[in-house]
Amino acid sequence: MTLIFDQKNDDFDDEALKQALRRQSAPEGFAERVLLRLDERNLAKSSPSQSDTSSHASWRAFFTLPLVRWAAVAAVAAAMVVGVAEELHYRNLQREHAQGEAAKQRLMLALHIAGSKLQLARSRVNRAGATASGSPAHAEQADN
Amino acid sequence: MSAMAEPVAAGEVAEIAESGFANLVRRHQSMVFSIALHFLADRPAAEELAQDVFLQLHANLTAFKSEDHVKFWLRKVTAHRCIDHRRRRKLLQVSLDEAPEMAAPENGARGQAADPFLARRLVQLVASLPEKPRLIVILHFQEDMTAAEIAETLTMPVATVKSHLRRTLGMLREKVSRTIGEANL
Repeated sequence: MTLIFDQKNDDFDDEALKQALRRQSAPEGFAERVLLRLDERNLAKSSPSQSDTSSHASWRAFFTLPLVRWAAVAAVAAAMVVGVAEELHYRNLQREHAQGEAAKQRLMLALHIAGSKLQLARSRVNRAGATASGSPAHAEQADN
Repeated sequence: MSAMAEPVAAGEVAEIAESGFANLVRRHQSMVFSIALHFLADRPAAEELAQDVFLQLHANLTAFKSEDHVKFWLRKVTAHRCIDHRRRRKLLQVSLDEAPEMAAPENGARGQAADPFLARRLVQLVASLPEKPRLIVILHFQEDMTAAEIAETLTMPVATVKSHLRRTLGMLREKVSRTIGEANL
């Protein structure tokens, strides 16, 4: 292999680094391109040509008014309060409905028990009456 | 007897200001572009970054008191934009093909810089350094800035700048001698 460059030490001095990192000329027309971008930027700032942009801007401007901002906050707060009240009312109704249903079930059960007991008492009374008249057929009829 | 000052139209004032700004750009474009180029090792990206720096300069033009102030600001903003750009892109390594194009090498004091291989290798090694040491080396060797000036520009202690410089130069020397050793085998 041949030597890449002639030097005694495998090293470099500060001058070599200075030369390697010396300033490079900016590309041709650099300043003109900067000015062009500046013009474009100024143009975009001075005339927002898109109607969408302007309508968005006016909406944004509308919502930056203090009175409108407070009104919007109050409307949101009122909506939240009404929503919470509605929810509580609905839950109360549901609870009352469930309680009514449970009471109805208990009443039905009580009536059923009372009916059974009444039936039993009547059959006993009938059997006792039949025994007293002395006819087993009557007793059987009474049982039935 | 003093002459009456001629009234100047608003458009004319803007034109004068623009030509002044254009001259300012021309005076400093090479400095800003070269810092970006040596840092990013990417010519189009360096040009875009340099343009952004000058647009930012234009937006703050009224705040400057002197040409030195402008120069200091340009170096500072370019350095910070370079770091931001690098963090966004996350370029991990710069290959030999991506290294910035070198202009025709001039003869250095000891003739070493005239070697295109050494110059290219040095640029490539500098471009692969971590962010802060890379900027320090670029500002020191490209802009001839002292450790104190670099410290002020990058908002870091002078001792840190000196230590970065010492360590980075040692590492560069070691890498260059290793490259030469491999080439001589």
